[in-house]
Amino acid sequence: MSTDPGTPPPGFLLADGPPAGLGSSRRRFGLGERGLRGLAASAAVVPLIALAAVLGVLIYKALPAMRYNGLGFFTRLAWSEGNTYGGISHAGGVTHPVGATYGGLSLVLGTLMSSAIALVIAVPLSVGAALAIVEKLPTRLSRSLGFFLELLAGIPSVVFGLWGVITFGPILSRDVTPFIARVLPNVPVLSWFKGNVGAGEGLLTSGIVLAIMVVPIIAATTRDLLRQVPVLPKEGARALGMSDWEVTRRVSLRWVGAGIIGASVLGLARALGETMAVAMVSGAILGTIPTNIYATFTTIAATIVSQLDSALTDSTGLAVSTLAEAALVIMVITLLANIGARVLVRRVSTAGLPVGRGI
Amino acid sequence: MSKPQPRTRSHVRGFSTMRAKVLAPVALASVAALALAACGTKTPSSTGTTAGGTGTTVAQTSGGSITLTEAGSSLLYPLFQIWAPAYHTEHPNVTISPAAGGSGLGISDAIAGTVNIGASDAYLSPGNVSKDPDLENIPLAISAQMVNYNLPGVTKHLNLSGQVLSQIYQGKITTWNDPAIAAANPGVTLPPTKIVPLHRSDGSGDSFIFTTYLSDADPSGWGAKYHYNTNFTGPPISGALAENGNGGMVTGCAATPGCVAYIGISYLSKTNSAGLGEAKLKNAAGNYLLPNASTIVAEASGFAPKTPPNETISLIYGPAPQGYPIINYEYAIVSTRQPSPPTASAVKALLSWASNPADGSAPSFLNQVGFQPLPTSVVALSTAQINKIA
Repeated sequence: MSTDPGTPPPGFLLADGPPAGLGSSRRRFGLGERGLRGLAASAAVVPLIALAAVLGVLIYKALPAMRYNGLGFFTRLAWSEGNTYGGISHAGGVTHPVGATYGGLSLVLGTLMSSAIALVIAVPLSVGAALAIVEKLPTRLSRSLGFFLELLAGIPSVVFGLWGVITFGPILSRDVTPFIARVLPNVPVLSWFKGNVGAGEGLLTSGIVLAIMVVPIIAATTRDLLRQVPVLPKEGARALGMSDWEVTRRVSLRWVGAGIIGASVLGLARALGETMAVAMVSGAILGTIPTNIYATFTTIAATIVSQLDSALTDSTGLAVSTLAEAALVIMVITLLANIGARVLVRRVSTAGLPVGRGI
Repeated sequence: MSKPQPRTRSHVRGFSTMRAKVLAPVALASVAALALAACGTKTPSSTGTTAGGTGTTVAQTSGGSITLTEAGSSLLYPLFQIWAPAYHTEHPNVTISPAAGGSGLGISDAIAGTVNIGASDAYLSPGNVSKDPDLENIPLAISAQMVNYNLPGVTKHLNLSGQVLSQIYQGKITTWNDPAIAAANPGVTLPPTKIVPLHRSDGSGDSFIFTTYLSDADPSGWGAKYHYNTNFTGPPISGALAENGNGGMVTGCAATPGCVAYIGISYLSKTNSAGLGEAKLKNAAGNYLLPNASTIVAEASGFAPKTPPNETISLIYGPAPQGYPIINYEYAIVSTRQPSPPTASAVKALLSWASNPADGSAPSFLNQVGFQPLPTSVVALSTAQINKIA
């Protein structure tokens, strides 16, 4: 080995180990190697254990509530801790205050509706912003725009909530939504925008605030994807006489299509789980199904934070257990969204894209 | 170069055995840590003497100076804000750090031991007392609750009864010119504005005393169906709003024409400057009254002799003909087992000072928030409870 001119000095042979005859350095080397691998392996396993532990503890805590609430949790509207100052009774092995009724339907619907509104607003906005940054704007402008986009992602959600409550919501309900509600015709879909516009807290305000919060996530991911679209197909398309719009539509967007779905799900996950901002601008109303887009509502995450204090005063523990059940539901919804996105991405990316894969 | 290959494999083998050795404890430790973090319930009341060791005891003692933390009722919060600097001036070694957050928070923080004094407009439930026998609810002063509304153009105090409010909060009366409201308000031109009932989104003693009033005044309706609780118990009404804290109720009602809201009397100056109306409420004797010194004292004097040694009693809808129907004791929720003797004596001194009509309950303090001092017999009961703290 010593005659091999290509042999690197000892210590660089990571995969092959040190040369024979250097016993002491071999021991030291082995220790370092083991240490690094051990660290890496445990770092890789801890997140898995964390997920399992969180799920395990949540399920354990939620069991009494699941037994008490049953499947009706998903079809009932009413949410009441019952008479915690009155009698305590037992049903199916669960101790509960008399009259306790928990229904999660309005929470689940509120979560899905506000996130859907957020995505409807945020996806076109984000893709547009990403296209502008990558394809249209001069470098100096696109760089500063990208910088502000990343700044937007770093703003704590409570700041958006406060802004929504004291500035945006009141302006919306005073100057904008009454006009929209008056002008739009009373036909299906658009009638959703008519009726009582409320006082600025509700579904539309929450949806818009959420949209502003998820735009940076979707836009930054889409921008990075668009940057990976090779130049040659685009130039080829131009050479065939396509306009800018045609190149964007038929080459760039087709190339990253599946990636945009992935980016949108990243944003969706954020919107589904967003707590503080929604708790502040939703109106925090339990147990109603919104009848128009301005109606007050609440989400699973917002309910957990707003109901926890009073739940902790329920000496039977059923109220806290029910919040654990709600937490489990939001985890499952987020997981389903992620799995759904993966399936979609796989389907879209194998369905004959013109040139290569997006991601 | 063929020689090193077995070594590579031995490295891999070494890795796998090492993985088993190293990862097992790592995994166990992380699972244990997570499980502990998730399951750990803070019960310093049962561990009593471990001062500052558990991370849940709050009083900080350094060089003889003590910081006492208080959290909970947003109704009592304005008074604690006035008390804190005054008490610090009299007792320079004691600093009081007050916070709002709702009576539900006051009770749950006191149970968890994360504050020295939990503030609540609601007394402890029998379930809480049997679970944490160390907890006491000690009245410091007497408060009242207003029912406010936002009706531009209506300048007279509207007459409202518990039955009518029960119907409003059940969504059965939906406009301000409803015959039931008009019948109690002859000569007042009521607009056809839609009623927007506001309730509290946080665990709240105001929700507790308001729903107690609805239950007592409408026993077969509200009382049978919805009871009373710190968590607002009423049925969901489309278009209704939930607000966080008394402050949220004031700003929410001010922004919502047609609203009706229940707000603590300590927010009277804020409801006035927000232009909200204040209702005269119907008491059990059938009189419509506003909350003021004489109606609050009249109501309280009826309940003082009935107050039991643990001071757990509702002061709602009493028989006094000139008594305002929604008044309540403002409770300090305190554990009798404090983390250390200096903390215990500091808490005792503060509570004695606060409930004493010559000190913290002097008119100079209470008049600012519209509260009344405890009747003499009740001060004695509070003192007896304070003396149990050790």
